[in-house]
Amino acid sequence: EVSYSQSTGQKEQLSRCLQRGIRRVQDLCKVLQLPRVFEETAVSYFQRALQHPSFHLVSLEKKELLAGCCVFVTCRQHNWPVTMGTICSLLYAKQELFASVYLSLQKELELSVPALSLADLVKTHLNSFRLFQRAADVPARFVEDKEKMVARTMQIVELASETWLVTGRHPVPIVTAAAFLSWQSLQPAARLTCTLARFCKVAGVDLPPPAHLRLKELLEILLRMASQLAWLRVFNVDKKTVVKHIGDLLQHRIFLLKNAFCLEDGEEQRAAAPGEGSPGSPPAAGGAAQEEGCSSEGKRQHEGGRRPLLPPCLINPRKRLRTAAPSPSDSAITGDEPISDREIEQYLRGPEEIRAFRKAKAW
Amino acid sequence: MDGVSPLEQYLERCGGQDDLSTSPQLFSPMSPYDVDLPIQTTEDVLFGSQLNQPKELPTDFSSVDLSFLPDVTQDNKEQNLPEDGHEMQKELDGSISRNEESGIFMDESSLSYPDTTQPSPEASGACPPLTPMTPMTPVTPASESSGIVPQLQNIVSTVNLACKLDLKNIALHARNAEYNPKRFAAVIMRIREPRTTALIFSSGKMVCTGAKSEEQSRLAARKYARVVQKLGFPAKFLDFKIQNMVGSCDVRFPIRLEGLVLTHQQFSSYEPELFPGLIYRMVKPRIVLLIFVSGKVVLTGAKERSEIYEAFENIYPILKGFKKAS
Repeated sequence: EVSYSQSTGQKEQLSRCLQRGIRRVQDLCKVLQLPRVFEETAVSYFQRALQHPSFHLVSLEKKELLAGCCVFVTCRQHNWPVTMGTICSLLYAKQELFASVYLSLQKELELSVPALSLADLVKTHLNSFRLFQRAADVPARFVEDKEKMVARTMQIVELASETWLVTGRHPVPIVTAAAFLSWQSLQPAARLTCTLARFCKVAGVDLPPPAHLRLKELLEILLRMASQLAWLRVFNVDKKTVVKHIGDLLQHRIFLLKNAFCLEDGEEQRAAAPGEGSPGSPPAAGGAAQEEGCSSEGKRQHEGGRRPLLPPCLINPRKRLRTAAPSPSDSAITGDEPISDREIEQYLRGPEEIRAFRKAKAW
Repeated sequence: MDGVSPLEQYLERCGGQDDLSTSPQLFSPMSPYDVDLPIQTTEDVLFGSQLNQPKELPTDFSSVDLSFLPDVTQDNKEQNLPEDGHEMQKELDGSISRNEESGIFMDESSLSYPDTTQPSPEASGACPPLTPMTPMTPVTPASESSGIVPQLQNIVSTVNLACKLDLKNIALHARNAEYNPKRFAAVIMRIREPRTTALIFSSGKMVCTGAKSEEQSRLAARKYARVVQKLGFPAKFLDFKIQNMVGSCDVRFPIRLEGLVLTHQQFSSYEPELFPGLIYRMVKPRIVLLIFVSGKVVLTGAKERSEIYEAFENIYPILKGFKKAS
């Protein structure tokens, strides 16, 4: 004997809100062409989240974003490269709101989300570049072989990562700048005159604002590496012409990076260049000692001198007022000091002032 | 290698079992893209004090990640004084001497399970036991701490003035007050010394922010209360409480955040699309740390300053593990 509620699945009835959310999750998975198992995971995350007190009563807008977040988390857990930007554009969502829902979701459900794999992102992002086939709006000299471009872009992105250009930065602009450099370097003669903006326009992709800075930083790294290639020292390589040699630079990048930059590793530096840097300082003294050694050396040989391999924020520190360490008088405060009347009265308005204020403000 | 100490010999043997390399592997990278494996780092960190400074005794505890050890054990419970920044060190010492023997066996199991991400039940929660436990001889506290003291930047406190307040009246009679009821339902008041801001609500509750120490926060709150008193309200000073403390410091070396989020996934959130820093939610103490590539660290969520110091001492050895560029 089967009860009415069991046969009609009444107990399994889901609220309309939950149904709508699940449909949204499923739609997103279809649009992104995700494997079936992703959909199941994302739906289960969504159901769990909606039961949680922090999400149960949020606005419908947020619940929709929650659906997107669950799909996003599922993708990331399977190392499926999808950016928040993509999900936001699919949901027509404000990124700040998406961010706050995502962070809450991660915290409340205690989800561990692995970092975005840049290698996979390169492949996915380059898929959207319209450069791999001749078309009406894609001139012949723009067309490039996809495999070659993906491979080279990947190498440049790896180089960027090794030289601290990636940590803490938006990933997509780095890929865009790397794609541009790789594309240019594959046919430099024809493409050196093309700008990053033009490249993105023809390729049919957005040009994110940080890409210009990333490009500049990448070129600086490449120039330093070029200074260590014996046969390039003859040419006066600058940030335009270095593009021609990117192939060579990438091929020998391990050697070039070691020589072009002071690595913080005391042992490596000693092995590579005995007598340079600060051989006497033990590594335990910290990277600071090595940095000092390098920066003093950098000052001695300004042109093509080695600089420490550090994130740009440490190489060009923005001048900021350092909050002074608490003075001895500050530390002596107990909190129980007597408070003089005079001190408090300075904060009170006198009667004439009040009259004037009243007139002006018309309370 | 000098191969002098039994530690090195033991770890060499273990390394041989591992087919990845000769050095003890901590974990296998989850992403093929990971160029920043801190394998070299940890090896250097573990052996550093022995190989490169043969004269020094291995007293530099700060470079070894021991935060997975249980915080409080039966024997050293009494020793735990929450005031001291050295609290952590005392606990570690107690645990080390006990685990020295079992350490070798724990080591093997953690080496043969390279992609573990689950913390052991006894883990203090600061980080999972991916780091092989180093069976070093127990050392006295002295100062294995990092030598860096986080500086307090902001204290948020609340107090109850225990009387209804006429905010319009306060805004009219006080020079240092701002009141915009359409924007926010409280008076914003500021004093110069200690340089702070207060939010004063009509219920009589007050929030005081901007002080650099607990005492300064209390002094400031008292001054605000005095201002309100002088304006004619019977303000009291009840239930003063520090609600949040924010500290910051600089470890002085760049940090591979991508690597840190890989090894400490359960506690870390690193989304460069959203925010350049890594958000680390430490379980014990319950502190949130913002860790940046520059090596600057912000610590927040503390109710007592010892929590800030403790959290930093917990994170410092972890960060040192990511110090070296690949």
